Amino acid sequence: MRLRRDDPHTLAGAYALDALTGAEKARFERHLAGCPACRLEATGLAETTARLAAAAAVEPPPQLREQVLAQATRTRQLPPAAPVGRRAGGWRRAPRLAVAAAGCFLLAALALGGLLMSSQHRLGQEQARSRAITAVLNAPDATMTTARARMGGTATVVMSHTDHALVLTTARLPAPPPAMRYQVWLMGPEGPRPAGMLPPAHQGMTAPVIVTGVAAGDMVGVTMEPASGSPRPTSPPVIMLVLRS
Amino acid sequence: MNPSRRPGQPAQPGGRRQDAPGGGTAELAGLLALTARGDHAAFTAVYSHTAAPVYGLVRRVLRDPAQSEEVTQEVLLEVWRTASRFDPQRGSAMAWLLTLAHRRAVDRVRSGQAAAQRDQQAITVPAGYDVVAEEAESRIEAQQVRRCLAALTDLQRESVTLAYYGGYTYREVASLLGVPVGTVKTRMRDGLIRLRDCLGAGQ
Repeated sequence: MRLRRDDPHTLAGAYALDALTGAEKARFERHLAGCPACRLEATGLAETTARLAAAAAVEPPPQLREQVLAQATRTRQLPPAAPVGRRAGGWRRAPRLAVAAAGCFLLAALALGGLLMSSQHRLGQEQARSRAITAVLNAPDATMTTARARMGGTATVVMSHTDHALVLTTARLPAPPPAMRYQVWLMGPEGPRPAGMLPPAHQGMTAPVIVTGVAAGDMVGVTMEPASGSPRPTSPPVIMLVLRS
Repeated sequence: MNPSRRPGQPAQPGGRRQDAPGGGTAELAGLLALTARGDHAAFTAVYSHTAAPVYGLVRRVLRDPAQSEEVTQEVLLEVWRTASRFDPQRGSAMAWLLTLAHRRAVDRVRSGQAAAQRDQQAITVPAGYDVVAEEAESRIEAQQVRRCLAALTDLQRESVTLAYYGGYTYREVASLLGVPVGTVKTRMRDGLIRLRDCLGAGQ
């Protein structure tokens, strides 16, 4: 089949080989976004180039292993599809949930998290996030901690040390003013690290937020920040949780 | 992991040898999911399965051993950092990982002095296909790739290997081979499609 010179499909091979650059590459990627057949071809060609790579495999120097593994312990991970930046308009209404004690808060927030799905997120990501949350809750070493906020409200954390992950829910925190949101921090010996934004509350509760990369000795803090988040806390925490070791 | 493997030796991709390279990939996807949750043991296993293909590929593109180690480390830390972004519906874990690796290697080779040195080496280095043959005598996977590369036309094979193992853009490949850019584009696509079909049939 003869392909026209300017047919975007002619670039699929060059793209798979990383032989496309700059504006041409950007144009092709925009084309891919709207062409399911091309995406399918691109996926297949990526599997093929992976075979080319595997054929060239060579053992690296042995010291590289320890270097990489050690550096990983000092490197934060992107959290699995944390609900950052969702807007209330995309959420379906949650049923009323009875709340009696810390345990019920958590169950209710879980149900909330499971029922409220942004229409913009892929289903797969939601399932992955639910699985990740469930995994932390079911971890054999899971511990639960609850704390009260100075100005009212509570926060509950379920943490798994072996998973280096925790799930955080809150109830009845004062609603932030417009253009402000609650931000979560992991506070370790080297200072606070951003750990995501709390989603807008529904019926006073926030859906579970999963935080990974939790290190021994970290505490969890929540501060009020501008809605887009801050690199460092700009005010004292409204609530702090000390994680049991 | 096999402690008797020495650095610089051709490696079996995937650590434990499966009958097909995709054979271990479901396991790798699971390891990535665990890695995404901060599981260091899982990441250690990811390293065992993937460090050799990553390092070998990067070394092929960059040539310089010190830079290759550096970029290999960057790639594996990127895998650690972004494991949660791997979407099993978009392809295999190994393809995701090696795409990341190839992009990093190519970005590095195209920046700064690396480019000048590379052009010098391009004149003396044989087509990537021959280099694969040298280092990959006895490995099933490499034999398959070599066989399927050999079944391509010269132009298809050189377009694919100069781009993939050499990190050249399609315009640079056209210039190196002295053929029109349009021809290179289609040969790259045809060559990869035929490789895909040949390697698929060989499984």
